[in-house]
Amino acid sequence: MRIMSASPSIARKKKKSGSKIGFLYLLPALIAYGYVVIVPTFQSLWFSFFKWNGITEAQWVGLNNYIGFLSNPLIKQAFSHTLVLILFYSVLPISLGLLSAALISKTQIRFSGFFRSVIFLPQILTSVVIAVIWRQIFSTDGILNDALRAVGLESLTQPWLGSFTFTLPVLGLAGSWTTMGLCMLLFISGTANISTELYDAAKLDGAGAIREFFSVTLPGLRPQLAVAMTLTLIAALRVFDLVWLTTRGGPGTSSITPSVLLYSKAFTQSDVGAGAAIGVLLAILALVVALVIVRVMDDKD
Amino acid sequence: MVIVPLLLLLGAAFSPVQSGRIDLGDLNYSNFVNVWKEAEFGRHLLVSLRLCTLVVAITLVITTLAAYAIAILNVPGSKWIFTIILAGLMIPLESILVPLYFTLRAMPFGGGATTLLIAHVGLNVSFGVFWMRAAFLAIPKSLIESASIDGASPFKTFRMIVLPLTKPALITLGLLTFLWTWNDYFLAVILITDPDQLPVTLAIGEFATKYSNKYNLMSAAAVLVALPVVTLYIFFQRKFIQGVLTGALKG
Repeated sequence: MRIMSASPSIARKKKKSGSKIGFLYLLPALIAYGYVVIVPTFQSLWFSFFKWNGITEAQWVGLNNYIGFLSNPLIKQAFSHTLVLILFYSVLPISLGLLSAALISKTQIRFSGFFRSVIFLPQILTSVVIAVIWRQIFSTDGILNDALRAVGLESLTQPWLGSFTFTLPVLGLAGSWTTMGLCMLLFISGTANISTELYDAAKLDGAGAIREFFSVTLPGLRPQLAVAMTLTLIAALRVFDLVWLTTRGGPGTSSITPSVLLYSKAFTQSDVGAGAAIGVLLAILALVVALVIVRVMDDKD
Repeated sequence: MVIVPLLLLLGAAFSPVQSGRIDLGDLNYSNFVNVWKEAEFGRHLLVSLRLCTLVVAITLVITTLAAYAIAILNVPGSKWIFTIILAGLMIPLESILVPLYFTLRAMPFGGGATTLLIAHVGLNVSFGVFWMRAAFLAIPKSLIESASIDGASPFKTFRMIVLPLTKPALITLGLLTFLWTWNDYFLAVILITDPDQLPVTLAIGEFATKYSNKYNLMSAAAVLVALPVVTLYIFFQRKFIQGVLTGALKG
């Protein structure tokens, strides 16, 4: 409107037809968005109040799907796996990323374009590729078992992805691999923006490397930290492809995640309401994660 | 640490042994030929290419138009329309998937690649509008004002001034849309039931399950799937990194 009122004749024209035409510009996007995102969001909430097998008539059960979750061991297991995955997707890569940023900022090494492209590469690979890579490393006659045999640790070799104990951590490591480069890239380029005066001042104050890290580097990286946390936490919350392509949640349910559970509830066990309810829970958790991160990051200011 | 698994994958793809063990003295590309034949890779490649082209084209058209209406034309209510569109960035795919599956399955083209096309386009609206709006707002106001004083219609201004000035942003959006569509597995695994219309990720995923002990073939398949995106990445590395970091919040 600001632009249009620059000339009175155009302003008049706009009043007549401008808004209608302007709305036409919006229409295709709004239709696609409404059909694929907005309507299904509310439908999900609505579905979650029903017991429905996807075919016959649905039955209103109110909050029972959610109440049922409280006593459902599978749901608890899936979300406890999410906590483990957060360690691998988020905590580990962020810690390593911060560490490498701290080390590199001290040595003043500029990190090369090639290094940048390589550490970011896992982010643009599709999950099928990542699954193949990690299945191969951890398969019965894969490279890890080969390496163990070579150093005489034959007794430790095992089918890693068929193990009740190791499957989840192994999948977690694959996740760390995909998010680590991103965290390193964020933090290392973030330290480049921290003014060197701050480091000089810290040195004058006699701060050691560790003090310097906590009083200069870490606060300076706050925006990058927020991005990395949001990204990796939500990735951990949503893990599906990697599990589906390697173990389908098994052996047993030892690597099941909320998204895998959603899939099997809604599309194989014909419990559509419960599947939708898991979706709603995930949306709420994602929202909480984002809000908490924004709040915490603001508070420190 | 990042590069070793990638090298292992490449090595295994050229390995003649099933386990994918790498023997540098004995490398051959027969795995690629076998995968191409056995997985009918060519056909699925075409499905994916067609899907990606259409998704990119439609996404670019509808999101630039919408962003233009919001950022430049200032359509009444554009503030709250933009807020609603932004909200989509916060909604994870999981929370719309179940109803979306039932809606799209009921369509005459249910289970085919068209369902994926619609789903991808709809899911791209939030980020596309967000991205292009920011680019449009960076255009100096005086340029647009002078165009309208010269009597250019809003659409002419859009085509002759706004789009050419925001070409870099358009290219990034196109690349990201291609990346997301090509790489998608989750949506495809749920929405596609027609075996003739499996996009390449899904086809290779099934192939990998079927030949789960032939690691050399699996690796060759994985390399083939990754190739188009990696090629684009080599040429547009900066745009990818910048875009992925901004688009990271996309559900």
